Amino acid sequence: MTDPTPILRADKLSFSYNSEEPTLKDISFSLFSGESLGVLGPNGGGKSTLMKIIVGLLKADSGKLFFENKLSSDYKVYPFALFSYVPQNSELNTILPVKVNEYMDFARSLYKEHNSATDIDELLDLVGILHKKNSLISKLSGGEKQRVLLARALINRPKLLLLDEPTKGLDSNGQDQLLAIIEKIKTRDKTAVMIVDHNINQIIRNCHKILCLNRTYHWHDHRDLLTKNILEDVYHCEFEHLLIHENDLKNNTEQNGTDHHLFCDHDHSKEIDPHSLLRRKK
Amino acid sequence: MNFIHSLQDFIHYDFLLYALLGTLFLSITCGLISPLLIARKNAFMGSAISHSTLLGLAIAVSIFSSDSPLSIFATTLVITIFCTLFLAFSTYRQKLPTDSLIGIFYTATMAMGILIHSAFAKNKTDLLSFLFGNILLLTKEDLILSIGLLAITAPLIIIPFKKWLFLTYDEEGAITSGVNAKFYHYLFFILLSLLIVTSIKLAGTILIETLLLVPGFFALKFASNVRQTFIISVLFSTFFAILGILIANTYGLPSGATLAVVLFLALMLSLLLKTIYTWIRK
Repeated sequence: MTDPTPILRADKLSFSYNSEEPTLKDISFSLFSGESLGVLGPNGGGKSTLMKIIVGLLKADSGKLFFENKLSSDYKVYPFALFSYVPQNSELNTILPVKVNEYMDFARSLYKEHNSATDIDELLDLVGILHKKNSLISKLSGGEKQRVLLARALINRPKLLLLDEPTKGLDSNGQDQLLAIIEKIKTRDKTAVMIVDHNINQIIRNCHKILCLNRTYHWHDHRDLLTKNILEDVYHCEFEHLLIHENDLKNNTEQNGTDHHLFCDHDHSKEIDPHSLLRRKK
Repeated sequence: MNFIHSLQDFIHYDFLLYALLGTLFLSITCGLISPLLIARKNAFMGSAISHSTLLGLAIAVSIFSSDSPLSIFATTLVITIFCTLFLAFSTYRQKLPTDSLIGIFYTATMAMGILIHSAFAKNKTDLLSFLFGNILLLTKEDLILSIGLLAITAPLIIIPFKKWLFLTYDEEGAITSGVNAKFYHYLFFILLSLLIVTSIKLAGTILIETLLLVPGFFALKFASNVRQTFIISVLFSTFFAILGILIANTYGLPSGATLAVVLFLALMLSLLLKTIYTWIRK
């Protein structure tokens, strides 16, 4: 059962850089405890901008943002303690020789009064990077860096976790492992998770809800209601094979014995691996 | 022999003792700020601030006579902080490259300083002494100012040390964890202005850059973690600044220039030794 109060609710958010053509227009969605929202869309579609508005790095031109049903502007201080944000790892400054445990300690020092029990080793162990705690972050691989960033984001036990392209630069194994960790956190702490990513398959597989975003166009609903047409509208291109909701397919198979399903209206029975890949039409 | 006599001079003559102690306190402060200045990629900004002090100095010496050093100091400081705040405001979290603006500002303020000095204070003071410093001009008041500067700077760097590092290493992560980036941005530049204005007599508006950059650069090359970076920077800055002053006094050399060359040679020599050591180990 999910909490009836959304952790996050956006109501008609609009934003433009330097009063140019709007980057976001009337974006609305909600996210409940333990739910995950995947944000899909082409480059420049406003995904990262939306995330930056939510975490307070940018200010929306209009619209409202609610955290636990309270308007963000009604908080005395922006509710940073409620959420954690993981920007893309390319944003890290590589000049300082920062070790994993030092970086974790920077973040923990902010929450000491509120959460002295936060154990850095436990978090590093959770994301599978404990053996690297004394290593310089600059010497870690892309996947390891992402795990460190994720561990840092968990230090305040956030109710909402916002991840901007967490699988960027990782191979498919690395992506799977990272998403498995996120799934574990979501289940363990009932954390609501919002993920921006370019891997459509991964997002559809791992998120309950999908937000498709391309500047002024947006679609937001449960993943089972996502259709090929919606994706094609967002990306302005055609897809020839879509990974779909296994449940949908299962239902159809049970009902009429075919491998047809609603999502891509395609008979997958002749294919060896029917639901593993989504690709753009060549 | 000369060197031993020179050391004795520092005990016998008050003005030399002031010079030595003044150098000690200012070099500790420089050593503390230097790694942050480099890691925050503000080296050029430091250069702009140090050159803009010339405008403040020119105005101050035009208004006050040379026997009012505190009035000159206060006026220079106020004008420099005003210029710095303008630069800090113009460069806070800007996506556009800010180096061109800093470059324009840097030359313009210096040029204005030269014009004002030439029009109103040409016969009062020698501008060259401000450009390259003269440690022998350090008075008891200057010594008190350098102690005061360290007393202000050290707690403001050390107490929120982890916040400074978090902001420098992962700015967006720190901001969205609740660190007030704007406050620390302005605080850093105000501390830098205070340090530069107080150090004018030690190294001059041009040579102060050496004290601000070399210790941090050295430390970042050799340290294996963050704490070590700051400790090495302070030790390097203090040891070689004192050595520079002693050499300058022994051989009757200009203090600012000697100090700059000693720091530079120490850096080059250590880099050379490091290269040889790495080469031998291979």
